[in-house]
Amino acid sequence: MSIFEGLRFKTISSPIHRIDPRAKFIYVCVLFAIAVLFSQLIPLLILFFSQMPLIIIAKLKREWLRLMRGSMFFAAIIFIANMVSLYFYGGTQSLAAVVEHSLAMTTRFLILVESFSIFFATTSPDMLSLSLEQIGVPYEFCFAFTTAIRFVPVLAEEAQTIMDAQKARGLELERGNFIKRVKNYIPILIPLIVSAIRRSMELAEAMESRAWGASKKRTSLYSLKMKTKDYIFIVASIIVLLVSIYVRFFISIPSVTELMHLG
Amino acid sequence: MAVIEARNLTYSYPFADKPAIEDINLAIERGEFVLLTGPSGCGKTTLCRCFNGLIPHFYGGKLEGEVWVAGLKTDEHPIHELAKHVGLVFQNPENQLFALTVEKDVAFGLENLGLPRDEIRRRVDWALKVTGIYDLKDRAPFELSGGQQQRVAIASILAMQPEIMVLDEPTSFLDPLSARSILETIYQLNRELGITIILIEHRLDLAARYADRIIVMDRGHIILDGEPRKIFLDDRIKLVGVGLPKVVRLYLALRDDNVNLKRVPLSPEEASRLIAEVLNSDRS
Ligand SMILES: Nc1ncnc2c1ncn2[C@@H]1O[C@H](COP(=O)(O)OP(=O)(O)OP(=O)(O)O)[C@@H](O)[C@H]1O
Ligand SMILES: [Mg+2]
Repeated sequence: MSIFEGLRFKTISSPIHRIDPRAKFIYVCVLFAIAVLFSQLIPLLILFFSQMPLIIIAKLKREWLRLMRGSMFFAAIIFIANMVSLYFYGGTQSLAAVVEHSLAMTTRFLILVESFSIFFATTSPDMLSLSLEQIGVPYEFCFAFTTAIRFVPVLAEEAQTIMDAQKARGLELERGNFIKRVKNYIPILIPLIVSAIRRSMELAEAMESRAWGASKKRTSLYSLKMKTKDYIFIVASIIVLLVSIYVRFFISIPSVTELMHLG
Repeated sequence: MAVIEARNLTYSYPFADKPAIEDINLAIERGEFVLLTGPSGCGKTTLCRCFNGLIPHFYGGKLEGEVWVAGLKTDEHPIHELAKHVGLVFQNPENQLFALTVEKDVAFGLENLGLPRDEIRRRVDWALKVTGIYDLKDRAPFELSGGQQQRVAIASILAMQPEIMVLDEPTSFLDPLSARSILETIYQLNRELGITIILIEHRLDLAARYADRIIVMDRGHIILDGEPRKIFLDDRIKLVGVGLPKVVRLYLALRDDNVNLKRVPLSPEEASRLIAEVLNSDRS
């Protein structure tokens, strides 16, 4: 659960939370682009740590730490996979260069995770759905999206209840070999699925009763409007992107290995 | 014409071998508070689904006879058109709230109707205030207590300003205290706004006092229909296993001992008043 914790929206308010989701989305795309543009450790590390001010303004320090800890497992896999492939198939590089490049790839992964989490942790699902709606995604999809988010905690709680009930009747989840353990979960899955189907029938009934599909042009209680600060945010993101492109192609960046040889 | 009218209504669910409700004849007048009760599985929910077109439009199956609601024949009008006239509140509050904030949930029906934004705003605020949950408007529905959730469900129907509100066991997930306060709110909607109420309820102890009329169903049929005090004295009500309110049982017990209260009490307050009257007249 720890990874998802970092992605979960919390109802707090900060300047970052109040930026228009569309502007934030462009910012995330810019981060992605820069992360892909560079493959050296130094610029990627700079990019990684340059997010810190944003995280602090958005009051996400604790979530950020938890997210990083949760990502360690995947980060380690990426690091090892890179090490192995570069070391055995990468030709004549020195070990130091291989390590540096693997670290760079790992950092790139962490940047992706980090920017994703800034986006999702500071954008309420409602706002997200609203902005999808406003860029022309059909309302049915946006509705399905918010409903899914709305029911995650409900289903999680239900799964827990069913698990407790089945355990009370003597079901042992942690018993046996791998296949046996997977089979142990069947008495939990079946009631969970049955109840999810019943739930969705009831939801459909309630939706129908509230005039679902009555009007071709559905209105909305809220509408998102881009404000000056949102435009500034977008322009700033694009400037950062342009500067990065310039640096990438016209300035040569030394690697850490080279710097150590010089010193 | 009555605001709800059913004529020779018989309905079977798809693949069912016998009808869930049979030969229902019923006329409900504007402004009435009707309590619908009867043993589990007798067809109360099914009847209510006929009132807003869920039957036959959503469930399919075989419908015979006619249902008229607010002058519309239900099988000729889509559910969303009927929804403007009849609002349904369901048993489980959790499964009738979709949005991530209370306010958006109450706005949901109005958004579907395509009303202008300021009209939605006005009606949402009004419905939240009438149901006493204005302070909760920015909270997430799943963080609320069952009683609060049921209030949100009622507000979201109320915002659509229907003439008729049908509530299917709205208190069965609630403790007696919240149940009582929800029923008070429903009663207030009936008295102050003139909304016709059809309330399905097992807890007659709590609900009987509000009703103008009680309808008792059994095995798909309406077996009793009338003024509460008459219904409770009818012997047939005991045969179907509907639990009489305690105050009615007290009335009957006193009657067996030759103590005759002036009329059948429907609430403890009324009972104590009537008993006091008898005691005073004995003394004088
Ligand atoms: N969706 C459905 N499909 C098929 N049959 C149904 C469906 N819903 C109810 N029934 C059947 O119709 C009959 C009447 O059920 P209904 O739910 O209307 O009873 P009820 O009076 O509301 O009972 P309860 O007090 O338990 O809510 C029952 O025999 C039930 O099995
Ligand atoms: Mg029912």
